[in-house]
Parts: sequence; structure tokens; C-alpha cells
Amino acid sequence: MSRRRIRNILLKEWTLLFTDLNSAFLITLVPFLIVGQGILYIWLASKFAGGSMLTTQVFQTALQKLVVAIPGVAQLPANEQLLVLLLSQFNFFLLLIPTMIAISVATFSIVEEKLSGSLEGLLATPVKTWELLLGKALAGAIPALVVTWLSAGVFLVVVSGLGWGHLTGFVVTAGWFLTLFLLTPAVAALSFMLGVTGSSRAKDARSAQNTVLVIIFPVLALIGIQVTGIIWFTPSLILVLALVIIIADFITLRTAVRLFRRESIVVQWR
Amino acid sequence: MPIIETFGLSRHFGKTAAVEDLTLTIEAGEVLGFLGPNGAGKTTTIRMLAGMIAPTKGYAIVAGHRTDRDIEQLHEVVGMLTQTPGLYDRLSARRNLEYFASFYPSIEPQSQVAKYLKIMGLWERRDSKVGTLSKGMKQRLALARALVHEPKVLFLDEPTAGLDPEAAGEVRRLIRTLREEGRTIFLSTHNLTEAEVVCSRIAVIHTRLLALDTPEQLRRRFFRRQIIVQLEALDAQVMEIVKRLPFVQDVREEGSQLILELTDSERNRPELVKAIVEAGGRVIGVSEKQYPLEDVYLRLIREENQNES
Repeated sequence: MSRRRIRNILLKEWTLLFTDLNSAFLITLVPFLIVGQGILYIWLASKFAGGSMLTTQVFQTALQKLVVAIPGVAQLPANEQLLVLLLSQFNFFLLLIPTMIAISVATFSIVEEKLSGSLEGLLATPVKTWELLLGKALAGAIPALVVTWLSAGVFLVVVSGLGWGHLTGFVVTAGWFLTLFLLTPAVAALSFMLGVTGSSRAKDARSAQNTVLVIIFPVLALIGIQVTGIIWFTPSLILVLALVIIIADFITLRTAVRLFRRESIVVQWR
Repeated sequence: MPIIETFGLSRHFGKTAAVEDLTLTIEAGEVLGFLGPNGAGKTTTIRMLAGMIAPTKGYAIVAGHRTDRDIEQLHEVVGMLTQTPGLYDRLSARRNLEYFASFYPSIEPQSQVAKYLKIMGLWERRDSKVGTLSKGMKQRLALARALVHEPKVLFLDEPTAGLDPEAAGEVRRLIRTLREEGRTIFLSTHNLTEAEVVCSRIAVIHTRLLALDTPEQLRRRFFRRQIIVQLEALDAQVMEIVKRLPFVQDVREEGSQLILELTDSERNRPELVKAIVEAGGRVIGVSEKQYPLEDVYLRLIREENQNES
């Protein structure tokens, strides 16, 4: 029964999501902006700063760690070493896509139903709180995940188009796949779970958005940590990180169910 | 067999009592009108009975389930029409119903949805987006949503509020049909005529229960039965004869009408008519004076306000 209910929540949410021009536009626009922006920065850095960037202490440390992780990079000219270093950050950069979409989509999911009065009718059915929250979180997380994977594909196509295709072998590693197919789904689920939780507790979408903002900072920190050479995320480290976030997903869902106060929703939203 | 029983049911919000010590029993198949002014605790009571909020004291059993414990099972056997239709405007009427129906394990959603769209007269508009429907249609759709899983008890919270007379009449007609089908309905309303037309018993609440009875019994509680005799013309001789009748407790004239209080309104009526005719009076009609339920309601509320002050 739970599977049927969650599937129905998903289908309903998708119908509403894709018939709302703003949401559909956002899901298309955010990945475009993030991929475009990332590639633009890398192109600008390689074009105008080039290999000279690597002389700075920060990039030196990062490059040393990159070479340890992927020894073949050492054979490349300085300019291409810089490119590999920057392109290797892109899988983490893509994590911003689900988090950004969650800020705009998930945070509205419960607040909107509170305002329209449909939530009271829904809570009068035998739906369980966890089914409702999981359904709503997945309804946003799945499309966000799909567009993130599409963006990764677009990224590789653009990288080849810019004449960097021969470097993709250094970028598309086991770590890349682990990030894309394990870490990204975990982060997407966490972002949407936080968004839905915020939405169920908040009085308006804006205050719900603040809840999801907390996840953007760790994502940015991941990029910062790696690009400055503090830690190089090897496949095993990414695996550990993904597992930690998956555990956080379950904890967040349990917490969300506890924080979801049906009574306050019914009494305070009329 | 009782289908709703409440035992000292109370709900406080902070220090404010919304419902106080509500004890009542409702039989299966009964339509109970729940009347009271704004803030009297009608919606809070419905929410407690439908397992949406918990009581702070006392408890209730609805269709065999404790409303504060067996919430999931309770939600499978009760239907609720909230004050606002609460539908998804961008989904079609059919899709809205299918969505809500999908949460109930014991039904086949598609056939149930088709059945209620037809009953509510919305079959032709089944694929229209809810946002394009009239207010009355939305309310009928919300009623279909409350019924789609064939609940044992139906809670209706001001179902005709904000509807134009035609749409309100349509909703009332549907409620009457449900009553004829033997459904148990708990109807909260401000509309006294509506309550009188569709309900078998009336409960008046003002935080606590003020009265619970049939409309007729409530009237008798406050107003003595009075008989109206409509005459072609009223003359002194007829008045004199009537006054002397032993079973006439009180009589007054209003135009060509006699308003009387009799010892036994049913048994004394033929003798009264006979006496008037023998005295030369020409009787056009005999009827019982009907006090509107509104008078009963206002009196109850006024008395309660006086007690409070």
C-alpha cells in the first residue's frame, strides 16, 4: 500500500510541477546556468591565467594530490594540468543543481498545500506522514537528479567541443561515477528532505528556503577543500562521504516525520 | 447502534476552552445537525471526531475506533468535507478524486471515482481543471472526495457556506439523498433552515452542549403548542363559546384567527372545531403554530450568554 501511495504522491506532484511554468523553467534554467557558469570559469582561467596559476601554493598542493590520485596527469603540460584540476571539481559543482532546485521547489511543496487547504483533506485520509514526506521529497529529487545527470553529459560534450576531449580520461574516473551515481542522489534526497521538512514547519516558503540553504555551504566547502588541496577526494573517500549522507537521509526523514505536526497544520492553517 | 460516542470530550487551546465536556451519542444512519455561533467549537469537535486533533480531556469512539488512538483505521472509515474545498486547481476533477481515492486500501479507485462523479453531476466536467469549475461544482467535488471510500460516518463542516442559493440547494439535495441512503452524517452548519430540512436531531453547542434533540422536541422545550383556527370572520359569540370550553387553557384573537392553547392539542381539536361550527363560526382551516428553529436557537444562545455573564 505504501508503495502505491508514494507513487500516487509522486505522479500528482509531477503533474503539478510540470504544469507550472515557473517550476518547469527553473528545473531547465538552473542546470543550464550552473553548467554554463562552471565551463565559463574554467575556460577563462585556462585562457587568461593558464599554467601560471599552478605556481601559487594553493594549486601546487592540490596538483600534488591530483598527481598522486591520477599519476598520468604529471605527463601533461602545465596548462592542461590546470585544466584537469579544474575540470575534476565539476562533479562536485554539479551537486549544486539538486540543492538549488530543492530551494525553489521543495520548500513550496507543503506550504502551498497549507495555503490552498488541500493538506487538511489529505491529512484526513489514511496517508502516513512518512509516505507523504518521502513522496514529496522524491517528487522533486528525481527530476533534479535526472537533470543533473543530463548536465554531466552536456558538460562532457561541451568539454570535447572546446578541444579538451583528450583530458576527459583524467576527469571521468571511478570517483566521477561514484559522485554522480551515489553521492548526487544522496545529496539530492537530503536537499529535498530538508526542503520538505522546512516547508512543513514554516509559515511561508521564504522561511522554508532558509532550511535548505544550510546544505549549499557543505557542497561549496567540498569544492573548496579539494581545489585548495586540503583533501583530494579519492573514490574511497567519496564512497564514505556518500554513505554518511545516505545515513543522514534516513535520520532526516525520521526527524522530519517527528517534526511534522499534523495538529498544528490543521489548527493554524485555515 | 451508536456509531459516534463522546465521553466528556474537551479541547483547550492554551487557557481557552474550545469544547468543554461534550458527551453525546449518535446512532448509525442518523443525520445530526451541529449548530452554534462562530467560535462555539463546531469545527474543533469535528476535527476531534475525525482524528485530526486530539482532545485534551475525555475521548470519543467513532465507528468503533478511538479517535485519539486508532487514527489510521479511523481515517479509513470516516469522510470529511472541510470548510474550504481544498482541491488542486491545476488537476482535473477526475485526477483530484483519483489522487485522494488512492490512499484507501479497500476500494478500487477508478470505479469509485466514476460513480461519485456521476452522482455529483460532474461526469461531463470530469476532465476539466478544477480551477475552471464554479464554487458549487468545487463543493460537490469536495463532497465526492469525502465519499469516495464509502465512509461509515461523514463529517460536513459548513458545506453550503459561501455558496449561492442554487448551489447551496444542490448540495442540500445531495445531503438529503445521502440521508435516504442511510448514511450517518455529522453536519456542522450556521444555516438553521438547512439543519431543519436535513437533520433528524439537532445539537446546539456553545463550547459546551446546550441542547440535543429533534427539532420538534426542541421547540416544545421552549414554546407551548398552539393551535391556529382560521375563520371566515370572528364574532363575539364564537369567542365566548370557545373561552368556556374546559380544555381551552388560553385563547387570543389575531384578525380572523383564534390562537389557542389546549390541554391536549391532538384530542381536543375535533371538539374545538365542532363547538365553533355549532356557534355559527365558519372554519377555513386548523393548523399548528410553527416556531422557527431560529427562535429556539436564539433563545438557547441568549440563555447561555446570560448564564455566562
